[in-house]
Amino acid sequence: MLTINNVTKHYDKTEALKHVSITIPGGACYGLVGPNGAGKSTLIKMITSIIRDYKGKIEFNEKRITDKTKQKLGYVPQDIILEEDISAFSNLQLFGRLYNLKGNSLNQRIKEVLALIGLSERGKDKVFAFSGGMKRRLNIGCALMHNPDLIIMDEPTVGIDPQSRKYIFKMIEDLKTAGKTVIYASHYMEEVEKLCDYVAFLDRGEMIENGAISELLQQYAVPSIYVKGSGIPQDKLEQYGTVSQEDGAFILYTEKALEAMEHIISYCRENRLDVERMELVHPRLEDVFFRLTGSNLRD
Amino acid sequence: MNAIMIVELKKHLQDKGLAFWMLILPILFTVLFISVFTTGDNEVVNQEIIQSIVPGYIVMFVFFIMISMVQVFIKDRNRGMTARLASTPLKSYYYLLGKWLPFTFIVIIQIVVLFLFGKVVYDVSLGQPIILLILSLFITFTVTAIGLAMALTVNTENMGIALTQIIALGGAMLSGLWMPLEMMPDFMQTIAHFLPQYWAHQSFQDAMAGTTQVPELLQTLVVLFAIGAAAFIIAIIRYPYFLKRAVK
Ligand SMILES: Nc1ncnc2c1ncn2[C@@H]1O[C@H](COP(=O)(O)OP(=O)(O)OP(=O)(O)O)[C@@H](O)[C@H]1O
Ligand SMILES: [Mg+2]
Repeated sequence: MLTINNVTKHYDKTEALKHVSITIPGGACYGLVGPNGAGKSTLIKMITSIIRDYKGKIEFNEKRITDKTKQKLGYVPQDIILEEDISAFSNLQLFGRLYNLKGNSLNQRIKEVLALIGLSERGKDKVFAFSGGMKRRLNIGCALMHNPDLIIMDEPTVGIDPQSRKYIFKMIEDLKTAGKTVIYASHYMEEVEKLCDYVAFLDRGEMIENGAISELLQQYAVPSIYVKGSGIPQDKLEQYGTVSQEDGAFILYTEKALEAMEHIISYCRENRLDVERMELVHPRLEDVFFRLTGSNLRD
Repeated sequence: MNAIMIVELKKHLQDKGLAFWMLILPILFTVLFISVFTTGDNEVVNQEIIQSIVPGYIVMFVFFIMISMVQVFIKDRNRGMTARLASTPLKSYYYLLGKWLPFTFIVIIQIVVLFLFGKVVYDVSLGQPIILLILSLFITFTVTAIGLAMALTVNTENMGIALTQIIALGGAMLSGLWMPLEMMPDFMQTIAHFLPQYWAHQSFQDAMAGTTQVPELLQTLVVLFAIGAAAFIIAIIRYPYFLKRAVK
């Protein structure tokens, strides 16, 4: 379990984090979501003790982060940070050694990790010749060498193709199955929704909400209906809730979605209006964020 | 620490620029200057000149390691490797040692190769090889310590390169590595006594000729060590600031 207790961090002028408290249960996959500059990376660097001058307390299994606790912690930085002039194998070797792996078990583990990140064939090649996606995967691999209990990933899927993304998702699923705790910072709500059990929303240094994703969806996301057709009057829909327009269709937000659907269908029948498409929209994390901040994560 | 050291050595071995600065360029300079300055017919004088030029260029060119040191540290800092390593159990002074030690190996190898080159090609005498080796170890310490202090202090690579040029070339000129000190004005001879290059050059020449006086040797070693230690202390003081800037 990781507890982040009332942490505050200033850079020279900017206040990057303000009184943030989060508890991350062991074995969970925890999403950190927020727009650019929200403070995700800052928080992660504090957890990994790259940043040490901050106010507040961070504890892993009730202990402050020390060199000993760092042994249980794997960090995937937002940028690709590798030794480009040596091979993938040598990079993994470097990180393995830093975490005190040696000899046979080190070599064994390098092979395992190469397989895990799908680079078994390319182990001997120098990293500078790798594609962006391959480097991303190696970037992750380096953090997994010592088989950590807590893996912290800072936007590991930025700028990669769907193939590599799938690979990375699979890796995270495997880590979850193995009972590891994963912290996953991302801009991509869909990813967090798919992978994580919990989420914390950060915005301008403040933690605006956190909790189990399923509960947040229930609490904040208003069910909505997508209606597309000709001649359906907006004010008719507004009887049931709030309406927004999207590419010539209406989105109707209403707590009583099914009931509203029935009414709208019969109304359209009676008035011989053509309904092209109507469906219940599954509430998304994106909507929760919108409800909380009044803005979309990406515009 | 070993982990860092091994990677650094691997990278240095591939670094052609390093080989150029550290070995090829000094050899070219040595050959060029010896051919320019030994046009006279007097064999004895010529050999004397060679005995001065060979160690002179060694002392001058060991300083160029500082460029590589600055590059390695600034690069590590800017691309976030220093920060990434701070998330591992690696102690920060082992990071420093792991980066620094390979440079000391390189400089030692450089000095040995350049002396052997002088021996094989110009038949310089290496009268007291053990003393030469001890001197080499001390000058290596001095140079790499200054390099470390500089690498942890400067903000940009260009600044490091500029400073290295000033220290290496300025120091070489003022210490009589290019022309005998006796030919320079008095105040410059006084300045020379504050420069590690001067002491190293004098003692190298004595040891090559086999005329080392123990008090003089000790004096040189103390000067080299003191300058190196001072630089090392600066490096240690600068290190926290370097780490702070490394956290992007
Ligand atoms: N080294 C630094 N010096 C000064 N300010 C910084 C530094 N690093 C981050 N900041 C500032 O702190 C705030 C939070 O930045 P942080 O990198 O933590 O955000 P983020 O949520 O990771 O953003 P992104 O999604 O763009 O990665 C920003 O306003 C940023 O400008
Ligand atoms: Mg970030």
